[in-house]
Amino acid sequence: MAEYHLTGPLTDADVEKLNIGDMVYISGEAFTCRSRLQKYIFDEKNVLPFSTAGRNILIHNGPIVIKENGQWRLVSFMPTSSIRFEKWGAQSVDQWDLKMIVGKTTMGKETAQMMKEKKCVHVSPRSVSPNLWIDSIEVQDVYLYDELGRIEAAWFFKLHELGPFIVDIDTKGQNLFDRLDEQISENKDKALQELGIDPDFQFTKLY
Amino acid sequence: MIKTEVYEQALFETVKRGATEISADVKEAFEAAIARESNPDAKKGLIATLNSMEMSAKRENPLCVDTGWPIFYFKVGNQCVLEGGFVELENAARRAVAKATELGYLRATMKHPLTGYDPGNNIGMNIPDFTYQFVDGDSIEISYAAKGGGSECFGGTRHRIVAFADGIAGIEKFVIDSFVASARAGAVCPPSVLGIGIGGTANVAANLAKEAACLRTVGSKHPDPMFAKIEEDLYKALNSLGVGILGAGGDTSVLAVNVEYAYTHIAGIACATSTNCMVARRASSRIDANGKVTIMRSPNWFGDR
Repeated sequence: MAEYHLTGPLTDADVEKLNIGDMVYISGEAFTCRSRLQKYIFDEKNVLPFSTAGRNILIHNGPIVIKENGQWRLVSFMPTSSIRFEKWGAQSVDQWDLKMIVGKTTMGKETAQMMKEKKCVHVSPRSVSPNLWIDSIEVQDVYLYDELGRIEAAWFFKLHELGPFIVDIDTKGQNLFDRLDEQISENKDKALQELGIDPDFQFTKLY
Repeated sequence: MIKTEVYEQALFETVKRGATEISADVKEAFEAAIARESNPDAKKGLIATLNSMEMSAKRENPLCVDTGWPIFYFKVGNQCVLEGGFVELENAARRAVAKATELGYLRATMKHPLTGYDPGNNIGMNIPDFTYQFVDGDSIEISYAAKGGGSECFGGTRHRIVAFADGIAGIEKFVIDSFVASARAGAVCPPSVLGIGIGGTANVAANLAKEAACLRTVGSKHPDPMFAKIEEDLYKALNSLGVGILGAGGDTSVLAVNVEYAYTHIAGIACATSTNCMVARRASSRIDANGKVTIMRSPNWFGDR
């Protein structure tokens, strides 16, 4: 497993060298989104009010940002679960020309397929450590604040060695968590046997 | 009579502490998990999380950006008298949550379930949530739990009626299947504090599971050996899965397994699970009849466990 320090905007070559299990630290310009923004763009057919060219790192996140003396101050940051955005995953990779999505959990098969086609990766945190991250993030700007509210708005961040994150979907379409599922499933069967429970135990059907 | 300004200030301080300070028992569980972790990346992740949590207390910022559903538990003495009564207690709790949100200790996370409207203060229909328990005495104990979206939204909280024919094996199979599915890719933010409710109607089991996840002291055991054995067996079983911190592999998948029970109907055993995320945020305070406020180390919801 290798460690990489990448600076956005990311190129195909930057992400093609990454394999599941690698650790990355990220610098450069990124933006955030949650469900509301993706629904607003992809379902409600609004136009994204900014260009993602030169800003091809997306962070699934609803940060706590407050205004102090006319300046934005990031109070807390933690990537949120990407899996719940699977409905819009492939579209966001395709239409926003993303090279990296940062989010907790992972994404599904449709997004992974689009990531393979368009050369994009998904990376995931291995800790819940907002205080080790907020000093690596500069809040630059915000879009759709009035329309979507301060949590669901698109925040523009400048990242300075933000990480570490583990690559869980790479450009070959591999998913780290699919691999882990196999091991966990085997461990589960052993754990059930230890408890004297048949792994193929069938519940009495009540409804 | 306990004055409004006294309990309102205590409510605010309890919310703030719950959002920004790691509980002593959770910290001990983290230290033990770090000591035994054999996966180097998982160990780094646990250390980073603990470091960040310790920094939150100093910086007075949230332990996690998702500050969760605001939930209050009140253990009230039968002779406890509050200025303005319990209606005012709940109003004061709402004001405390709104103030904590305005000051950035809580994120404005609560929204209308259909329109998505964000009131900006975490206050809305049936939110915050209030639960009461009545005991002898004239004091009131306040516990605040912040139940995160990860821990609640990805199948960590679920319910099944298990037939008597399936018994303990059915209960344990249900719990293990549920946990594996919900912890995939770290969805419920493991290592979890897993609460299990056995018996009662479905909602009673679900409430017991949530209270076991949020209010039991991490590391405590159920006093009844039958339930203590289920806790111990499931703790070992779940920690043998290799789920690890945020689901990317490791030795610690649960920080605790806490079981609570109620008598049930002869027709079946309601069984519910509730995972609390690794941060397991909560704080408790007691207010005596003379207005003296004491910070409590543990919620004392289930007595000394």
